[in-house]
Amino acid sequence: MCAQDATMGKDAARAEWDNPMQFVLACVSYAVGLGNVWRFPYLCQMHGGGGFLIPYMLMLVLLGVPLFYMELAIGQKMRLGSIGAWRAISPYLGGVGMASVVTSMYLCLYYNVINAWSFWYLFHSFQSILPWAECPVNSNLTGPVEECERATPTQYFFYRETLDISGSIEENGGIHMGQALCLLLAWIIVYLFIIKGVKSTGKVVYFTATFPYLVLIIYLIRGVTLHGSINGVKYMFTPKMEQLAKPTTWINAATQIFFSLGLGFGSLIAFASYNQYNNNFEKQAIIVSMVNSGTSIFASIVTFSIYGFKATFNYESCLERVRLLLLNTFDLAEDTISLENVNHWIAELNRTHPEQFASLGGRLETCDLEAELDTAVEGTGLAFIVYSEAIKNMPVSQLWSVLYFIMLLLLGMGSMLGNVIAVITPLSDLKFISHYMSTKTLNGLVCLFCLLLGLGFTTRSGNYWFTMFNDYGATFSLLFIVLIEVITVCYIYGIKRFEKDVEDMLGHRLNCYWKIMLAGVSPILLIALFIFYIVNYIQGGTPTYQAWNKELGKSVVTEYPPYAQAFIGLLLASSVCCIPLTALYTYCKKRNLASGKRERTVSTVSA
Amino acid sequence: MLVRILVLLYLVGAPALAQTLCQPNASNGYRVRISIKTALGNQAYEWNENEMFLFQATMAFAMRRYYKTETYNVDNIIVCNQTRRVSFWFVVISPENPTMLIPKADVEKAVSALTTRLPCRPMSNSMSRHRINNAFLLTDRTLEFLGIHPTLAEPVNPDTPPWLIVFGVVIGAVFAGIIALLVSSLLQKRRKEKGMMEDGQDEEDRQMKGVENGINLDGIYNRGFTDDDRFTKL
Repeated sequence: MCAQDATMGKDAARAEWDNPMQFVLACVSYAVGLGNVWRFPYLCQMHGGGGFLIPYMLMLVLLGVPLFYMELAIGQKMRLGSIGAWRAISPYLGGVGMASVVTSMYLCLYYNVINAWSFWYLFHSFQSILPWAECPVNSNLTGPVEECERATPTQYFFYRETLDISGSIEENGGIHMGQALCLLLAWIIVYLFIIKGVKSTGKVVYFTATFPYLVLIIYLIRGVTLHGSINGVKYMFTPKMEQLAKPTTWINAATQIFFSLGLGFGSLIAFASYNQYNNNFEKQAIIVSMVNSGTSIFASIVTFSIYGFKATFNYESCLERVRLLLLNTFDLAEDTISLENVNHWIAELNRTHPEQFASLGGRLETCDLEAELDTAVEGTGLAFIVYSEAIKNMPVSQLWSVLYFIMLLLLGMGSMLGNVIAVITPLSDLKFISHYMSTKTLNGLVCLFCLLLGLGFTTRSGNYWFTMFNDYGATFSLLFIVLIEVITVCYIYGIKRFEKDVEDMLGHRLNCYWKIMLAGVSPILLIALFIFYIVNYIQGGTPTYQAWNKELGKSVVTEYPPYAQAFIGLLLASSVCCIPLTALYTYCKKRNLASGKRERTVSTVSA
Repeated sequence: MLVRILVLLYLVGAPALAQTLCQPNASNGYRVRISIKTALGNQAYEWNENEMFLFQATMAFAMRRYYKTETYNVDNIIVCNQTRRVSFWFVVISPENPTMLIPKADVEKAVSALTTRLPCRPMSNSMSRHRINNAFLLTDRTLEFLGIHPTLAEPVNPDTPPWLIVFGVVIGAVFAGIIALLVSSLLQKRRKEKGMMEDGQDEEDRQMKGVENGINLDGIYNRGFTDDDRFTKL
């Protein structure tokens, strides 16, 4: 009833996508993001290579696609952003929408910082020698900078020149001007993309959704033709079936599907709300989910061929160093030891000249290809350190660097569009906001607000706050939000009513796959995930983070100080408690209204 | 007669004396290590007596450039202890006094030079290392003087960092895009207003025109005039 009122009132004025293709591309652009490039390959490697695809595909079918379908259905039916849509479904659970908006707001704040870093690296790629290829010289011109010597040039460039990172989260510093400028640029571009609402976004997604694939294909061709890339691909795809017996494999597969599709942020509801009423979202939900998973697998082939190249390069450099060391210590002619027979010569020389060999001591390195491949990294470390290290060793590295960071930018921008629209759509649906300002002004204000708060992430300790937001800002609250969503739709709103709504929109009934998944399997899986997260969090003890130690030239595990832990709690609570608080507020309001206006026959409360 | 004996002794004794001056780990000697195959791969030349002569000649050349007054010769560079690695020790003796070794520090100064990655710019006497390397088609890494570290190049510091230039270009383009969009939407709005005032053919106008007192004046489709024969067959 309330839903019908909402539909009638909004139909005439609401913007729409120019065609269904724009909607599909917008969803693809949003779902295919940085996580496909830097999280899935890591999980694949950690959990048994090719074997990981089994739990991944299973979770996609059991959890990912049904929940994706549900969110699209809600958005398309209610034709409102997350706050309005959930209020229409059940007045007590309007808080679900509010929680989504709060979580999306957190995501907006920190996600664009990644785009700022991508811009920074992109602009620095236009130099004859990439700045992360070599250590800069110290002030005495005697050698490289100390911190750079202890770490690697790529790490030095990321931690010192890009972030100017401090030693711990407590040591704040000034704002890094370069980062601040790049963040400003990133937000201005986001504003440019959303300035006219879906009209402008719809045109932008043609580019942001398709161009990354072009770059990935180019990189795939470059990657597999690099020397040693086959080692990486082989290593990744060799299935280690025993990993499937561990529960963490299945849990990681579920969380990856869940977060990769971007469920619970309200972006999908917002995108779908601009659809035509009879749009066939069922087909589109399946297409987008498949494309997202396919891209993850494709991106991990590219990542692992690059990994293989980097590992082989490092391994061969190590062998070369050992060879030179042996030649110089034992004064052998240059062509006696080659890269192939280094190990043979080590054994030989140990046998024939034991004392001289012993004098080598710690200088003799062990070169192990497996160990190089084993250094699995995820997240910003993979994208900005490992990848840039691989790129600097490629021929014509400036070109590959520019291409790579443009791809990262497009993936990040595409996801940012979804995040920002998830915040703006519910806000612009609220009557008191849309009354006082136009969409352009609202968009500008939201972007400005996020920019100003986001400047906090460009300070010297900003990266630690970034990691905190990344690890805690969205993970737990999303599981809770989506769990409440599924239970609301299936049990409070009723699966029968949902079925009728879908039939109204699509013209055919829900078949039993959707019914079973939405009403049965997905909630159970979500509850299991939720419990696992809580148990893991409690068992984990004090939350820790990786602090960069400039004396050692590497990251050390440090505990969060008490005020930071309190802030983590605030992050988690602020989005989650929207739900019970709104329910309580609505209950009180209804009770007051009911008791105060019992004489009136027509109740004008619509929410 | 005595003079002849002295000259003979000198001619015989000098090289022997010279040999004793050059020893591994000599206090005034340097060890040189050459890696030809690493540097040149297939085009590597063989290290032999002639190459050694060239080395002695280039060292003498470097000493001459440093000590502009004294004339050094190939004989003043003494080499010993060659290995298969192609490494050897050398010492430099003064041309006036064959028993006097040139101190280590002076030899170092004569040899070391700024190694730059830019094309060679003539810079007084500090390009000797570069010239020595070039004579052998080698680099600082493959022609090593153990103990002499090449001074590193002064970092090139441009006035505006290059990244700022690219940033300026991009942000200029983005601002231009925003202004273009805002101006175009402003112009569109003005055109619409003008159109509405002149009773133009706008979509909204038609909608507005067709509704008077809530009654749609566009007319209702009258089924009385449809062709029913399509539907009912008697």
